[in-house]
Amino acid sequence: MFAVELARGMWTTLKSMFEEPVTYQYPEVKRPVRPRFKGRHVLARYKNGLERCIGCALCAAACPASAIFVEASENIDRRRFSPGERYASTYEINLLRCIFCGFCEDACPTEAIVLEHNYEMSFTSRRDAIYTKERLIVPVPPGGDPTPMIVPPGSFDRAIPEMEDPD
Amino acid sequence: MAEHILLRHRDIPDIHELDVYLSNGGFDALKLVVQKKTPQDVIDIVRESGLRGRGGAGFPAGVKWGFLPQGVFPRYVVANADESEPGTFKDREIMERNPFQFLEGVAICSYAAQAKLAYIYCRGEFWDLAHELESHIAELRKEKLLGRKLFGKDFSLDIRVHLGAGAYICGEETALLESMEGKLGQPRLRPPFPAAEGLYGQPTVVNNVETLTNVPPIINRGANWYNSIGTKESTGPKVFSLSGNVERPGNYELPLGTTFRKLIFEHGGGIPNGRSIKAILPAGASAPILPATKKVLDTGMDYESLRKIGSDLGSGSVIVVDDSVNIAWLAQKITSFFKHESCGKCTPCREGTYWMSRIFENLENGKATSEDIDLLDSVAQSIVGKCLCALGDFAAAQVVSDIARFRSDFDARAKDGK
Amino acid sequence: MSQALVSLTIDGVEVTVPVGTKIVDAAKQAGIEIPVFCYHPKLESVGMCRQCLVEIGRPKIDRSTRKIVRDKNGDPVIEFGPKLETSCTTPVGEGWVVLVNSERAIEGRRQVIELILTSHPLDCPICDKGGECPLQNMTMAHGPGKSRFLYEDKMHLAKHVPLGDLIFLDRERCIQCARCIRFQTEIVDDPVIAFSERGRKLEIVTLSEPGFASYFSGNTTDICPVGALTTADFRFGARPWELNATASICPHCAVGCNTMLNTRREARSQGRVVIKRVMPRQNEAVNEIWLCDKGRFAHHFASSEERLARPVIKLKRRGRLTATTWENAVKFVVEGLQAAHGAVLGIAGGRASNEDLYALHRLMDGLGGRAVLHDQMAGGEFVQQAGVGPGTNLADLGSGDCILVVASDLHEEAPIWWLRVKQAAERGAKLIVANARPTRLDAHATHILRYDYGVAAHMILGMLHEINHQKELDQYASAETKKVAKVVSKANNVVVFYGSEGLDYAASHDLAQNCATLLAASGHVGRANNGLVAVWTHSNTQGAWDMGVHPEPGGLAAALKGQKAAYVVAADPAGDEPLLTSLLEQVDFLIVQGLFLTETALAADVVLPAQSFVERDGTYTNGMRRVQRFFPAIAPNEGMRADWEILSAVAAAMGIDSARPSAAAVMQDIAAKNRDYSEVNYPALSRNASQWPHVGGKDIYFGGTAHPNHQGLGVQLTPRVERQKDISFDWAAPRKIAHKPRYLMVPITKLYDRGTTVVQSQVLGPRLEILRLYVNPEDAERLGMIDEGEVEVQWDGRKQRLRSVIDEHVPSGAVLVPRSLGVPLATAVDVKIRPIAL
Repeated sequence: MFAVELARGMWTTLKSMFEEPVTYQYPEVKRPVRPRFKGRHVLARYKNGLERCIGCALCAAACPASAIFVEASENIDRRRFSPGERYASTYEINLLRCIFCGFCEDACPTEAIVLEHNYEMSFTSRRDAIYTKERLIVPVPPGGDPTPMIVPPGSFDRAIPEMEDPD
Repeated sequence: MAEHILLRHRDIPDIHELDVYLSNGGFDALKLVVQKKTPQDVIDIVRESGLRGRGGAGFPAGVKWGFLPQGVFPRYVVANADESEPGTFKDREIMERNPFQFLEGVAICSYAAQAKLAYIYCRGEFWDLAHELESHIAELRKEKLLGRKLFGKDFSLDIRVHLGAGAYICGEETALLESMEGKLGQPRLRPPFPAAEGLYGQPTVVNNVETLTNVPPIINRGANWYNSIGTKESTGPKVFSLSGNVERPGNYELPLGTTFRKLIFEHGGGIPNGRSIKAILPAGASAPILPATKKVLDTGMDYESLRKIGSDLGSGSVIVVDDSVNIAWLAQKITSFFKHESCGKCTPCREGTYWMSRIFENLENGKATSEDIDLLDSVAQSIVGKCLCALGDFAAAQVVSDIARFRSDFDARAKDGK
Repeated sequence: MSQALVSLTIDGVEVTVPVGTKIVDAAKQAGIEIPVFCYHPKLESVGMCRQCLVEIGRPKIDRSTRKIVRDKNGDPVIEFGPKLETSCTTPVGEGWVVLVNSERAIEGRRQVIELILTSHPLDCPICDKGGECPLQNMTMAHGPGKSRFLYEDKMHLAKHVPLGDLIFLDRERCIQCARCIRFQTEIVDDPVIAFSERGRKLEIVTLSEPGFASYFSGNTTDICPVGALTTADFRFGARPWELNATASICPHCAVGCNTMLNTRREARSQGRVVIKRVMPRQNEAVNEIWLCDKGRFAHHFASSEERLARPVIKLKRRGRLTATTWENAVKFVVEGLQAAHGAVLGIAGGRASNEDLYALHRLMDGLGGRAVLHDQMAGGEFVQQAGVGPGTNLADLGSGDCILVVASDLHEEAPIWWLRVKQAAERGAKLIVANARPTRLDAHATHILRYDYGVAAHMILGMLHEINHQKELDQYASAETKKVAKVVSKANNVVVFYGSEGLDYAASHDLAQNCATLLAASGHVGRANNGLVAVWTHSNTQGAWDMGVHPEPGGLAAALKGQKAAYVVAADPAGDEPLLTSLLEQVDFLIVQGLFLTETALAADVVLPAQSFVERDGTYTNGMRRVQRFFPAIAPNEGMRADWEILSAVAAAMGIDSARPSAAAVMQDIAAKNRDYSEVNYPALSRNASQWPHVGGKDIYFGGTAHPNHQGLGVQLTPRVERQKDISFDWAAPRKIAHKPRYLMVPITKLYDRGTTVVQSQVLGPRLEILRLYVNPEDAERLGMIDEGEVEVQWDGRKQRLRSVIDEHVPSGAVLVPRSLGVPLATAVDVKIRPIAL
């Protein structure tokens, strides 16, 4: 009786040795995420390089954890960051506070803030946990220009809800 | 009609010359009132005559003069010669051809109102006419028919001509006063009415050119003679400006209450090119359109009868529309006129005329559906009755009536139209 | 005043209001909200926006009998008009029935808001008004969820139109309500903005050069019902919901406007909490809901980088200031004061709070010294005796009343008083303006009196003669003073504002005394809306007088004679008068307490960093003797202390008094010692009453974004004549004017000077006055001067080169120079003028 049980158990063990493992060898191997996974935020740009964020601070208002701090400034054509008059001169997310609820994404009128798929966030200090605009913003897409950019007067002078992806 | 009362130059061609006017009884009425009558007498005569404002609203002139508050001076009289209604050209003819009867009317009105200064507010495009009026006024001054102590009595009067700057809205009496004061031509809130607080905050009588031109014959021949002309409530003669698809357009002086049929077919010679009549705009752009049914054609042109059939007499500018015209096209023209002329003071008119005009453009360019026509109707409905002055209401009422009475014309222009 | 009342029914609520009340206001009083855009309770109604449409039913009147038609039950038959009517333009009528929330009225208003929104860009996310925007609120409450207007059809207009240096216009957001235009025209008589064009192109333009030249421009951003007008200072500064609000009192002039400091943490200030904007706080008896641009924009000094942050001491003869701890600094101060053996002089500025001044007075008293005020204007004691009584409100003055303004340019010195005096004159109050030169207020005056600089007091004597008929005064009476005196004695209520333009201490003392005597002689003291008001140069000068700190009649130089130590609080005598520098340096031990390293501080042995009014609490007493409290809005830098706190610590260390724990405790001391302040304590200062019109909060669209007052209206002190019946007033013996100087150089006050509290606000930079010498054309010709030419002026052995401007408003024999722009001139002096050849 006992031997039978033992053999059955050993068989299970043996069988699993030849099965594919369900674990990932993180960090060598990274686990894929679902399309709607909410990871670390990024600040998106339009194709031409202009920042989508217009500094409206609705994300900060929506944030249930008060993790976001935005300070806006005024765009001028010789120093343009985003379409329209306003841009975020300071944008900080305290990732120690963030609960990844995605309300900021919902609140954003320009789809500037996106919870991307990056889940690798580890910090060694509280200071490092505050992601500044420089760390959040995506690189300039190919063919685009870095911000601030000099634009002809009268172009890109409207933000909401005019600004589709400009050419 | 045998005799012209207002368009007297048609009987006496040279009446625009002062000596001719004088030799035909000119300024007898002024002399009579200044020497023999009190201002109140004049107001009473005009009230009894039943003379109603010919500018559009049809308000009894005598009643209006009687509203002047006691003991507040100075007072002003302003003749509204800002004749800008599309299809209206009666005041112009009077001022060009029979100017002294008009000026005498201004003087009598000033006497009744006890004003020492009267103004004639001419529309900006009448600059040459304004110059002519000024030289006529200079003649009157020379002949001591204007100036200090007229006819040896304690009545002094001067008349000045003020030229507008080309805004339709300045035909509205309070906007006119604003414009005269050098301000932006926007209507004032009423009350207070100009009779109480008008030009520079003083009691002011504002009357149309034609209204004032009616005054000397009333004084000369009496109120009873006058109110025997026309209908019971709309008394006297009226100059109808006939235009549009008609054989003989022009000004016709007829008693109030004359039927459309008589004006258009008898006097105007009917519709040219063998076309048939489709609709009538009885008051230029400012009153709802009327389909030319038998009932309409047989309606007398007076204030009451037209209100009964859902329109207005206005300034009596009858525009005839024949069956070649699409009413939606007509409505678009009118709306774009009102959009251009809206003063911008109140929201419904400023925004509403712009919105309607945009929908009309889409309709014209074949972009609009019948839903857009519903939208147009709904926008127009939302303007009606909410504006500060009449302009917005006119614009919207026009569109509402056009759609209600000629919907098929609109549908014909819609993308999905039948 | 009993007013006829009218009763009507609004949405089933019976309301009784005075005749002439607009329906919209009557509804508000009954708690029924009617949305408005163009209507503002402080402005004449125009009925432009058509947002306030309601149904109005009137009792049917029989035409023949002129009697109200009644139904079977005897109730009046109510007839409703065919159209909706604007409730903002329609005054109430007896027995009317108003339907605000009927289906037809709601639908009408929904249609209007849809029309308004057709032109609006809906860029709320980037709009500064977003979050406190009447249009936004109204759209949420009454508007359609979705626009039927095609988005592509929206007008595209300029979004960045500077109307001036301070105000920006967004033409797309503007809904053409004309609140701003009407405010500028009706309320402040600066018609510098107007509509241009017509129809959908109707737009706001500025007519002045420089643009939007008005001292009140900031108020238009408060009453703008959309985000069309924004200030250069706050533009994109923060979202309204992110701001904290702290009640405060404007520190810039003697009016004492109630303000609200909106603060927020700011990244570009290294994460410190800073003032983002200053908003008016409603106090209908002081500033209503307005604030002048200086009060609104000149707040940056408080967050200046140049603020002193640590106590510094200078060891004798070494001449270098070294930072130290508070403990050491206080020890050092105590030693220095002890060494003076009572030969100590406290010098305070009129910007210090009552608590500071009391603490200084107490300390000096304990040391055997005394405290003086660094100021040139006198007369505080007369204001204490004959000041305006409790319940005074300039808004109550009108027909039958009289206001006398003497030796002051209110528009420059106290703009909100100018505004309210002007409005009283418009309501029919007789306004007598007496000054040596024409001022802005002359335009609203019923009587204008001119006198030679320096003899303002004589002119009041002339008026007094008409009332007391004393022989000695014969020589001062003239036909004009006679006429004016009649006006004063006949008036129901009289308020006298006196200033110090062209007057030294003695002359302003005489002026104040004579004004008080005139008021007393004509029976206009000791009750509300009657009395004497001093147009002080600082926010708390009256408080200083009340705390027993007043100017030395002979000036600071005289007061400093023989002193071994001096303790300067909230003043910069050396900066104002360089000649005092050496005198201050001669004092063995000089303590300076302040915000900045001023000229005086540079000469000091100890410099103690004080907290500014935004970092602490305290009270100011305004020129009408209303004590008002301000609250800490910003956490101070650790190194800074409140003035009273430092003084109290020093007093404690010297065994004079125990240290006080709070400003409130100091106020309790004041109340115990000072009979005038016996009713004053912090809870009393925080008392409130409901005020009309409603502003802020839920009603944002009604009165604008000015803040409601939940923090206290302050306490108006009772003048002594109301309590002490034995006070008598007598006129001051007229001084002989020794000689008529050839040219008298007179310092005049301009709102935007270059004082330390103003220059720190860069936003005001373009508006600051430029130093010029203003000369009468005849004098200029006699002297051979040209416009914008250079001249050299000499006085008291001093020389300065100035640019001159020829101005016909300058009285002959006088030359004017604005204060605080570089000419150290406290009072009028004789000068020699020499044009410099080019």
